Amino acid sequence: MSTAISVGKPSWWRSEFFLVGVLLLEIAIFSRTGSNFATAINALEIVRLSAEIGLLAVWMTPVVLTGGIDLSVGSLLGLCAVCFGKLWRDAGLPWPVAAAATLVLGALGGGLNAMLITRLRLPPLIVTLGSLSLFRGLAEAITRGVDNFTGFPSGFLDWGQGYLVGGIPAQAPVWIAVAAGVIVLVHYTVFGRALRAIGHSPEGARYAGIAVNRCVAWVYVLSGTAAGLAALVYVARVGQAKADAGTGYELLAITAVVLGGTSIFGGTGSVWGTLLGVASLAVLRNGLQLSDQPGELAGILTGVLLLGALSAEVGFKKFSARRRASVTLASSNSPS
Amino acid sequence: MKRFGRELSVTASLLVLLAVLAVTAPAFFGKQQLLATLTAAAPVLVVACGMTLVILVRQIDISVGSQFAVCSIIAGLMARAGYPMVLVVPASIATGALLGAFNGWLVAALGLPSIVVTLATFVSWRETLRWVREGEFVKDLPDRFQWLGMGQSAGQGVILAVAALVFALLVYGLGWIALGRRVYAVGSDREAARLAGIRPGRVTWGAFVVLGALVGLAAVLNAIRFADVDPKTGTGLEMQVIAGVVVGGVAVSGGRGTLWGVLAGVLLLACISPALVFLKLPPQWEKAIQGGIILVAVAADRGGRSRLS
Amino acid sequence: MSRIDLPSEVERNAERGAEVPLLRLTGVTKSFGAVRALKGVSFELRAGEVHALLGENGAGKSTLIKVITGAHAPDAGSIEIAGQSVMSLDPAQAHRLGIACIYQQPALFPDLTVAENLGLRLEPSTAWRRIDFAQRRARAVELLRRVGAEISPDAEVRSLSMPEQQLVEIACALGAGARVILMDEPTASLTRREVERLFELVRDLRREGVGILYISHRLEEIFALADRVTVLRDGESVGTRPVRDARGRPTLTESELIRSMVGRELNQLYPPRAHGIGEVVVSVRNLSCAASGVCAVSLEIRSGEILGLAGLVGAGRTELARVLFGLTPADSGEIRIHGAVVMLRSPRDAMEQGIAYVPEDRRRHGVILEMPVAHNVSLAVLGRLFRGVWLKPKPEQALALDLISRLGVTCAGPQALAGSLSGGNQQKVALGRWLATQPRWLILDEPTQGVDVGAKGEIHKLIRDLAASGLAVLLISSDLPEVIGMSDRIGVMRDGRLVEVLPGGSNASTVMAAALGRSDGDGKEGV
Repeated sequence: MSTAISVGKPSWWRSEFFLVGVLLLEIAIFSRTGSNFATAINALEIVRLSAEIGLLAVWMTPVVLTGGIDLSVGSLLGLCAVCFGKLWRDAGLPWPVAAAATLVLGALGGGLNAMLITRLRLPPLIVTLGSLSLFRGLAEAITRGVDNFTGFPSGFLDWGQGYLVGGIPAQAPVWIAVAAGVIVLVHYTVFGRALRAIGHSPEGARYAGIAVNRCVAWVYVLSGTAAGLAALVYVARVGQAKADAGTGYELLAITAVVLGGTSIFGGTGSVWGTLLGVASLAVLRNGLQLSDQPGELAGILTGVLLLGALSAEVGFKKFSARRRASVTLASSNSPS
Repeated sequence: MKRFGRELSVTASLLVLLAVLAVTAPAFFGKQQLLATLTAAAPVLVVACGMTLVILVRQIDISVGSQFAVCSIIAGLMARAGYPMVLVVPASIATGALLGAFNGWLVAALGLPSIVVTLATFVSWRETLRWVREGEFVKDLPDRFQWLGMGQSAGQGVILAVAALVFALLVYGLGWIALGRRVYAVGSDREAARLAGIRPGRVTWGAFVVLGALVGLAAVLNAIRFADVDPKTGTGLEMQVIAGVVVGGVAVSGGRGTLWGVLAGVLLLACISPALVFLKLPPQWEKAIQGGIILVAVAADRGGRSRLS
Repeated sequence: MSRIDLPSEVERNAERGAEVPLLRLTGVTKSFGAVRALKGVSFELRAGEVHALLGENGAGKSTLIKVITGAHAPDAGSIEIAGQSVMSLDPAQAHRLGIACIYQQPALFPDLTVAENLGLRLEPSTAWRRIDFAQRRARAVELLRRVGAEISPDAEVRSLSMPEQQLVEIACALGAGARVILMDEPTASLTRREVERLFELVRDLRREGVGILYISHRLEEIFALADRVTVLRDGESVGTRPVRDARGRPTLTESELIRSMVGRELNQLYPPRAHGIGEVVVSVRNLSCAASGVCAVSLEIRSGEILGLAGLVGAGRTELARVLFGLTPADSGEIRIHGAVVMLRSPRDAMEQGIAYVPEDRRRHGVILEMPVAHNVSLAVLGRLFRGVWLKPKPEQALALDLISRLGVTCAGPQALAGSLSGGNQQKVALGRWLATQPRWLILDEPTQGVDVGAKGEIHKLIRDLAASGLAVLLISSDLPEVIGMSDRIGVMRDGRLVEVLPGGSNASTVMAAALGRSDGDGKEGV
């Protein structure tokens, strides 16, 4: 009877059905239109291309599950990429050390968000909007807007450009391991359950003895670390680090998450859905390219897909809310 | 009517910045420089006024930059095709209103979350534009386009006058007209608004339409400053505008904030880039400082409030 | 069902030009899907009467209110307002026809001033009108004076207390010239004195010829205030009866009313008190917390004992509970559990000490509405149930099923969303979550607020059984009969202090006097 009830039961499987359908449709169409689309090599190429957005999106899922959002990941990716270049080239650190420092930097960036959100109780949208500007600005300041780091050692570049046995791209294991880790964390651990509780009702979670601030802080720190990791994967793949690296990636990551059926209001959603979201976006982009269609079409269709998925979800929720309202009355009318 | 704490603190920050500039770089206050700074800020202010409405009703629109680009290009193409400016300007405004109406429809009628809706339209409009124009500038514009054919200083005057007029109208509308107070009512408590006979959906939709129309107007105000129309214009505008509104003290939870704060916020952020030049600091720091100001502004606001309560 | 001749009190009202009722519903039916929430309900509201509407939760009261205010359109039946048949009613039209509703949670704009709130509701709906702030303010002052509220018209509504907000709502109804005022549990969050003031206001309105539809779970209020009472049961009207006869004597008894509500005889007695009170479980000494206004509280609870906590709203009872549960840590003082001093800096600390807190606001804090029952009951034992890390569906399911059957939760199963349950069942789930932690000390904050009569009795029995099994229970309640009937000892709080501890079964007026800070029970003056 009140608004709270209209918030849905976990309906992620619906979104996933929708996405599987979209994915199959894409594959069916592009297999006909695209040259060399339906090949194992291309499938692996899609995995390679989706790694950075995928890493960001997969970690964005727990953030959105808590009812938050992290707009700063794309900028943080840029900042981490630039810092990595700076540490390796100008500070002369060996690349593995610089890489480790980059991950720490990502964690610190996430930590800044976490601190402002949990300590000062500021809305994540505003905090990460501010840190989006801040991180990108720092990246520009460090490079004075022009510096471009190139010429990384091949030992490092192999991680982004090389292949393992069977033509598997070198970044695939990292990407899959992280995705698997997040799936386990979100779906099979107590931490994941706590995140959902927080997303549905932060106050309710606090009253149930969940350390809300600590959980939320971790989520943003991990999201920042993921941005650091994505920065490394990105630099290794493209072979250069500029201040504008990862511009707009935050929006792609959020698109994948929302497309995957995670409610932007928190509480419900799944990492599997996000993976499907990432996959359908990557396949779309790749398939259009191989079909000689303009790349812009991918962007347009992404927007359309996003609106379609959302409308479908809202429609389904309205339907099930109506059904549930009647169930509510039935159960409360029956003698107990 | 309200606490004006935030308005005052932002204005104070702006004054401090101006005072520092007055001492260290009096050239900042040269007529040319000041006019250039203000005319660059005018389109941002116009969009920020519209964004204030949308944030007051507890929504957000991150597609304004893309709308801005679409309107700019349409204005440029129409001008080149020989239409007089008295048609070009309304057409740009109408285009913006239409795009805003689409966002508003998805949000108000279908009940989709505005952040996601406008994320989708943000990508879609920008990419559609890229597809159609393939990154091409609109060149060979008639003379009556740049500065409305009136020369730079008169053109700047017109831009500032229009921005000031829009601002004044909206201040009056939000403060003294029943409809304006309904915007606050809807953002403050949607359900209570419904019970008071207000239709929250309509007000929300209206806010998006007004924002769109103002984006269309701002696109013209911006485009006439240049000789060509850049298809990438308005990139990052959404962040600039939202930052100005938030720094100005409008609560993202809706229902609180005034346009005076937004004015101070927009001007503060607009002064940073020229200030860096005049203070002989590397200009690349602009974004970082902007980000810092947003974070400090919201943090200070919250810190102050929690001490009070 | 039974037709009764109208006694003269009502007749007198009828003589005041109320041959035509203000509001008449005939055969109103409303279904949601397959469920019929209202089945042919007929009743009428006359000018100058207070008409009570009674019924268990889920009996159809809320739906009926929504039909009258135009939020729901009935499927069948007719609505007549002041003798005129109304075809389709929407909220705006209901408002125009002089129907106003005071909700439990006032529907005001928290960010706007009182004057602005009144203006938004009362002024003409033309959108492009210039607002006359001076006139708006003057009108607000006038209306606030009429309801006897000492509220500044320039105050932001978020700074007002709940009863003050209710007064603003009533001022709004008066300003709208409402002839029919619906009050949905208006006293749920009011203190005794505020209730008295509200009653005076309602009587004033009645004298002015306003018809008031008064909904409350508190039977004593109905006897104090109402002229007639209509009972709803399972969406049907059981009948309308006058409350008093010609000489002002009650024509009904509480048990009659309860019987007609639940359709069965209900044991209104509280479960017998405990015999085996054991050793001291909790001892609190000089506990203070400046931030929440708790000041130098000392108390002791033994195993098997229920310590009731009475007091006015705002006396600091919930605040004390929050301190004891670590939600707002204490500044000074000492808490001992089984003799050992403990530090409670967070709910987690409190849980480790075997403290469980079932909070007052069930829907916001007690359960998570969007989560299934099983997830709700396991939320406080996630670490223990799953040994720290991994979720395991089987033990969780078993826990949920066990609690569902132990507490008698009526629900579709462990996977049913908490939000789909009725208030009483949600409360049982909230309680179940904490029973799963196997606490030594249970703090219950308003455990039966908004719970229907049947479930109330079950919850009372449950609390007593829990105490009998050796728990120490702190029971906070604004329901005076409940706190007196249930408690072994009754602590009374006032202004953040524990001012008195009375024996169980004390006289209600003694408890009230202590809560009000008066030496005897009959003082007329305020604090």
